[in-house]
Amino acid sequence: MNRIRILLSSAVLEMVLVILCTILAATAPNFLTAENLLNILRNVSMQGLIALGMTMVIIAAEIDLSVGSMVAFSGCLTAWITRWGTSPPVALPMVPVLMAAILLSIGVGFLLGSLTGFLRTRFAVPSFISTLALLTGLTGAAELITNGFPLTPFPAWYNFIGGGYLLGVPFPALLFLLAFAGVHTLMNYTTFGRAVYAVGGNAEAARLSGIDVPRVKTLVLAITAALAAASGVMQSSEIMSGTATTAKGWELDVIAAVIIGGTSLAGGVGRVWGTMVGVLFLGIIINGMTLLNVSEYWQNVVRGALILLAVLINRLQQKQ
Amino acid sequence: MGTPLHSLQTVALRKEYPGTVALNDIALRFDGGKIHALLGKNGAGKSTLVKIFAGAVAPTSGTILVNDAPVRFDSPREALARGIAAVHQELSLVPEMTVAENILLGRLPGKRRGLIDWKEVARRAEAVLQNLGVTLDVHAKARTLGVAQQQMVEIARAMSHSPAVLMLDEPTSALAHDETERLFTLLRTLAARGVVILYITHRLEEISRIADTVTVLRNGRHVGTIGAAEATPAIIVQMIFGEVVQKTRPPGLLARQEPVLEVRNFTRTGAFTNVSFDLHAGEILGIAGLLGSGRTELLRALFGADPHDSGTVLLGGIPVRPSSPAQMCQHGMALAPENRKEEGLVQILSTRANLCLASLQRIARHGFTTAGRERAVAAQSIHDVAISLPSVDAPVSALSGGNQQKVVVAKWLNTNPRVILLDEPTRGIDLQAKQQMFQLIWDLSARGIGSIVVSSELEELMDICHRIMIMKKGTLTGEISPQHSTLEQLFARCMS
Repeated sequence: MNRIRILLSSAVLEMVLVILCTILAATAPNFLTAENLLNILRNVSMQGLIALGMTMVIIAAEIDLSVGSMVAFSGCLTAWITRWGTSPPVALPMVPVLMAAILLSIGVGFLLGSLTGFLRTRFAVPSFISTLALLTGLTGAAELITNGFPLTPFPAWYNFIGGGYLLGVPFPALLFLLAFAGVHTLMNYTTFGRAVYAVGGNAEAARLSGIDVPRVKTLVLAITAALAAASGVMQSSEIMSGTATTAKGWELDVIAAVIIGGTSLAGGVGRVWGTMVGVLFLGIIINGMTLLNVSEYWQNVVRGALILLAVLINRLQQKQ
Repeated sequence: MGTPLHSLQTVALRKEYPGTVALNDIALRFDGGKIHALLGKNGAGKSTLVKIFAGAVAPTSGTILVNDAPVRFDSPREALARGIAAVHQELSLVPEMTVAENILLGRLPGKRRGLIDWKEVARRAEAVLQNLGVTLDVHAKARTLGVAQQQMVEIARAMSHSPAVLMLDEPTSALAHDETERLFTLLRTLAARGVVILYITHRLEEISRIADTVTVLRNGRHVGTIGAAEATPAIIVQMIFGEVVQKTRPPGLLARQEPVLEVRNFTRTGAFTNVSFDLHAGEILGIAGLLGSGRTELLRALFGADPHDSGTVLLGGIPVRPSSPAQMCQHGMALAPENRKEEGLVQILSTRANLCLASLQRIARHGFTTAGRERAVAAQSIHDVAISLPSVDAPVSALSGGNQQKVVVAKWLNTNPRVILLDEPTRGIDLQAKQQMFQLIWDLSARGIGSIVVSSELEELMDICHRIMIMKKGTLTGEISPQHSTLEQLFARCMS
C-alpha cells in the first residue's frame, strides 16, 4: 500500500498523461488508433531529439537558445552542400555527397556547440547570451546560403530519414527512441552523466572534487547542438528542402518539454525519462486538440496554460 | 551633563539548534558608558549571541532587556527600532551609492510626490558625521573610500538610529594601526555618551587598549566577566579554552622518514610568499595562523584550485605543477575545503553520489557505472568512517554537519590519496563528531597518508598533530612540536 503511494506520488506527470490520453480516447475521434499514436511519435521526434540534449544542458545549469535556428541552418547547409557537390563543376555522385553533407552539418553543429562551451568556460560568457547571439546569427547564415529561397537538391529516397517507415514505425521516431536510449544511458550509467549532475548542482564543489568542469559543460553544449543539427537534417528530409524559415521558436517548445519533465532550471536536478514524458505530453495535447478541431489560436492558449499547470504540479511534488 | 546610561541585559537566554545547544541559559548585563569585550573561540556561542542581539536569529527561550525593559524582535529592522545597532565584520555598503545615501539607506527623506529631497539627505548625513566628529565628503561614492572610512560610514549609519547598544564584530580585522586608533577614539566618545559598546574580537592585545570589561563564552556558556585590569593574557586564554583535556593521540603513531610532499619557495602574490616545508608519510602537520594569514590560500594553491606564481612542488618525489584540482587529484592529493557546504559537497545530490564524486573513474568500468556498484562503494565508506544517515539515496543536505564532513573526507579516501589537505575539518561540528574526526585523521596517519590540518582551534592542533607550523601574513614564521610546548606558547606565537 505504502509502496503504491510512493510510486504514485513520484509519477504524477505520468498519471496526468494517462488521464489526458483517457479523456482524448473518449472524446477525440480516431485518437486511440495505432496510426494516430505513431503519428504523434513522429511529430514529436525532431523536437524530442533536441529536448534530450537540452535536458543535459539544463541539468548542467546552462541553456541553449539557438536550437531552433540550428535546425534551420543545418537543413540549409545539408541542402547547400548537396547542391554544390552534385552540380557542375564538382558533379560527384549523389549518395556520397549527401552522406558527407549530413555528417558535415552535424559536425558543424557540434563545433558551434563547442564554441558556446568554450566561450562559457574560458571567458565566462553566459550560454544564455552566446546562444541568443547564435540564434540570430544562424538564422541569418541560413538565409545567406539559401538566398532566402528553399533549396531543393534532394533525391526522392532522402525523404526516408524524416518521412519514411521501418517495419511500420516512422523512421524519425525510431531515431528519437534510439537517441533516448543513448542519452538515458549516458546520464544514468556513465561517469560523464554523474559529472553533469555534479557540475550543475555545484560547479565549485565538482571542480574541487577533481571533475573537469569546462570539459563537461562544453561537451553537453556540443552534443546538444549536434542533436539539433541532426534534427535539422531530419526536418530537411521531411520537407525535402533546406528552408531558412523553418523551426522558428522551437527552442521554447523544447525547453518547455524539459521543464514539464521535472528538470530544474537551477541545474543539478532532472531525468531524461521525465523529458520523454514532457515531450509526449506536449505532442499529445496538440494532436488531441487538432483532432477535436480546436482552432490554432485556442491551441496556443491552452498549451500555454497546460505548460504552466504541469510545472506547478512538479513544483508541488518537489515540495513534498 | 547627566547623560542617561543605557544598558543591555539577558535573562536565561537559550538557543538550541537541532542536536546542539548553542547558548545555555546566558545571564549577562552590559552597562552603558563602558566598552565590553566579548570573547570566545569559534563555536563558543559568541556569534549566536550577537545574531540574537542583532535580530537575525530568534532565541529558543529567555529574555533580552534594553534599558531594563524587556524587548522582543524578529528582524534586524526591529532590533534597530528597539535600540540595538550592529556593525558586522563584512562591510555592507552599497558601492555605487554616496556616503549620505548609505548612511540614510532605507529612510531617505522625501518631498511631495515621492521624490527624494537630496539637500535634506546631505544635511542629515553631515549632521550624523559631525556628531561623531568624523570628516568625510557625504557626496563621495562608497567605493572610493578606504576600508577604514567605509567602516566609519557603517558606524555612522548605525549611530544615526541613536541606539542604546552598538555592537562591533571584529572591527579592526581590516584596519591599519593608526586607523584602529581613530576607531578606538570614536568608540570612547560614544561610550562617554552612555551607549553600551559591545566589542567582539580575537585580538587579545586590543583588550587592554580599548575594553573596560571582558566577557568570555565557552561551549555556549558564560564562563565569566572580569575587569580589563585583571585580564592578563594567561587568564583570558584559560577562560577561552578551559582546562585543556589532553585527548590521546595513539602513541605508536609516528611520521615516517620518506617525504610525500616537498614544497619549495611556493608563492602566490598577495596571499603567501616563499613557503617551504616537507610533509612525511603518515605525518599530521598542523598550520596555525589567524584568519587572513594565507593558510587557506596555501592549501588551495597546492591543490591547484587557485593559481600560484612560483615555487616547486614534489609529490612522492616527482615534480608536479599544481594547475587544476583534476590533475592534483590524479597525483594523489585531496582537499577537504573550508566551506564544506558550498565547496565540499553537492548538496542536492545524494550521499551516494557525493561519496563517489571524486573517484568516478575508479568506480566505473570503461566509463560505465551502475547504482549497484556505487552503492557498494558508498556502503564501505559509511562503514569505514561511521557516517550515520537516513538513506544513501537521500540528498546529502539532510545530514548533520559532522556527518557531512565525514562524507567529504570519505569521498577523498575513495581516491586512495597520498596527501590530504584538511581545511578547518572540525568547524561547526559537535564534540562527539570532533572526536571521531580526530580518530579519522589518526587512522589516515596509520595508513601512511600525510595530512595537513589547518585549524583556528589551536588546542585541537596541539592534540592531533605531530608538528605545527605557524603562518603569519603569508609566510611561515616557525614551527613547534606539541610534545614540547604549551598551548599558551603556541597562542603567543600566533598572536605576537
